[in-house]
Amino acid sequence: METTTTIRKGLAINFKQGAWLIIEAQFVNPGKGAAFTRCKLKNLKTNQVVENTFKSGEAVELVDLLMQKCQFLYKDHEGYNFMNNDSYEQFQLTEDMLGDDGKWLLENTEVYAMYIDGTPVSIQVPPKMDFRVIESPPGLKGDTATGGTKDIKLENGVMIKAPLFIKEGDMVKVNTEDGSYVSKAN
Amino acid sequence: MTYTNKNASTLARHSSRIKSQIREFFDSQGFLEVDTPIMVKIPGMEPHLSIFETKLEIPSTYENQTPQALYLNHSPELQMKKLLARTSEDATFGKIYNMAKVFRNGEFDSKTHNPEFTMLEWYRYDSDYNEMMTDCENLIAHLTKNTTNTASKAQLSPHFTQNTPQPENKNNSSHNLTPSTHELVYQDQKIDLSHPFTRKTVNELFIEHTNIDLNENKTYKQLKEKAENLKLPINSCETWDDIFFTIFLNEIEPKLKAYTKPIFIYDYPSSQAALARKSHKDPFWAERFELYIAGIEIANAYSELIDEKEQRDRLIEEQNQRKNLKKSVFDIDEEFLNSLKSIRKPCSGIALGVDRLIMLLTDTKSIEDLLLFPITHILKK
Repeated sequence: METTTTIRKGLAINFKQGAWLIIEAQFVNPGKGAAFTRCKLKNLKTNQVVENTFKSGEAVELVDLLMQKCQFLYKDHEGYNFMNNDSYEQFQLTEDMLGDDGKWLLENTEVYAMYIDGTPVSIQVPPKMDFRVIESPPGLKGDTATGGTKDIKLENGVMIKAPLFIKEGDMVKVNTEDGSYVSKAN
Repeated sequence: MTYTNKNASTLARHSSRIKSQIREFFDSQGFLEVDTPIMVKIPGMEPHLSIFETKLEIPSTYENQTPQALYLNHSPELQMKKLLARTSEDATFGKIYNMAKVFRNGEFDSKTHNPEFTMLEWYRYDSDYNEMMTDCENLIAHLTKNTTNTASKAQLSPHFTQNTPQPENKNNSSHNLTPSTHELVYQDQKIDLSHPFTRKTVNELFIEHTNIDLNENKTYKQLKEKAENLKLPINSCETWDDIFFTIFLNEIEPKLKAYTKPIFIYDYPSSQAALARKSHKDPFWAERFELYIAGIEIANAYSELIDEKEQRDRLIEEQNQRKNLKKSVFDIDEEFLNSLKSIRKPCSGIALGVDRLIMLLTDTKSIEDLLLFPITHILKK
């Protein structure tokens, strides 16, 4: 089994008898201590997200993960259907397998699918995506108690907080990792 | 889910104001602001820190033209203690503070680290770490009180809320600044700032969150066995401290977010506090504390070690650790050790991360969002 001592976002590792994708990796050093890397890991089978802090330089086993560009086709009662852009092969992932990521998918959205031993197990949505605003109540002027934000609804049904100047019909860029507003999109 | 894309100029105004208020607080408490150098010949010996190195060119008027290696200070603590040591002859330096840039190489890619950052340090002659805890409570009360009490200021900073209106507090003695009823909201989490803040020893936290009593596991072998019995992953840990940190970071620190009050974690293993006085009760522990707010480490304080001989031994120990870790090794600062001889009373000191404190007070998610020129802007991943 291949190992690495550089723990980075995007790597898939074997940890606690499972295959996990590192979805966040941050430098930490406890006062007076050695450097550590704090990771958020997503289980590639169950989608469970856990945090673990590894000692910097600690060897971890890598999972052989293949990333391939795919297109989201449609959702039916069994799950989400995709097509591999290279092989045109179609496959389905259940709602459980996609977890929270499913909500960002619009028809024809391009994503990366992750394959372990030839089987697609999960997808990676782009970190930033553009959405049309379908509901945006007029903001209250001078309402600084809310930090100058209001709740808006995106075309995929997701509610996010955005600045007061955002109007219905605008395109906005959204961070799909935490659902936060990034900027107005063109 | 938060909207953090805050206006940079608003944030810059908050930062500037908070820094003025910090100075206001210490000035009103009779502290003297002192300057310490950014470049030093001998930085502190913390085993794990990587230090920026630079070279001083020598003018031709000097006989010896060999450039002098200098280091960017990672903390002004040695200089502060040298000044503090003068107190026995000159009371001027009995209460001093300093707010300056410090440097730690390789420390970024995190919400709370940038290789250069602003550190606030203050020291008291004739005191111990308990007084530092009170200072922290009073400083934070001062910073939040002033921002909430008037309408115009409240508008400038919407993130403070106040349960009840507070009378203007005229009492400036260090022990009785407030019965604070403030709360602070950081990333949707409410922090109760009323006094006193929570106080827990390191060992209490270990027992509470992991069932490990460190007093019964003081050796590497004991702690390793105990952790393995509890199925805690400590695979690549080669020292007692490695296991300690791995458990602390995985089992304890993530749970500190759940504390609704700021928490002083005190009495650290002496091996992690080379400049702190060992506890009278048990020298395995040292009188050091860290202040955490909303799970973020804000400050680190000591009852200062003032025994010159013991300090020498511990610096040598750290020097050896740096050699083993293949970090650059510095000389022992004889001037520092010498200065300790003139300290006649217990002293205490603290280092507080100003950027992190401002992040908390302005509800800013990451240090990158706060700094006008974060290091990550000149690097591409």
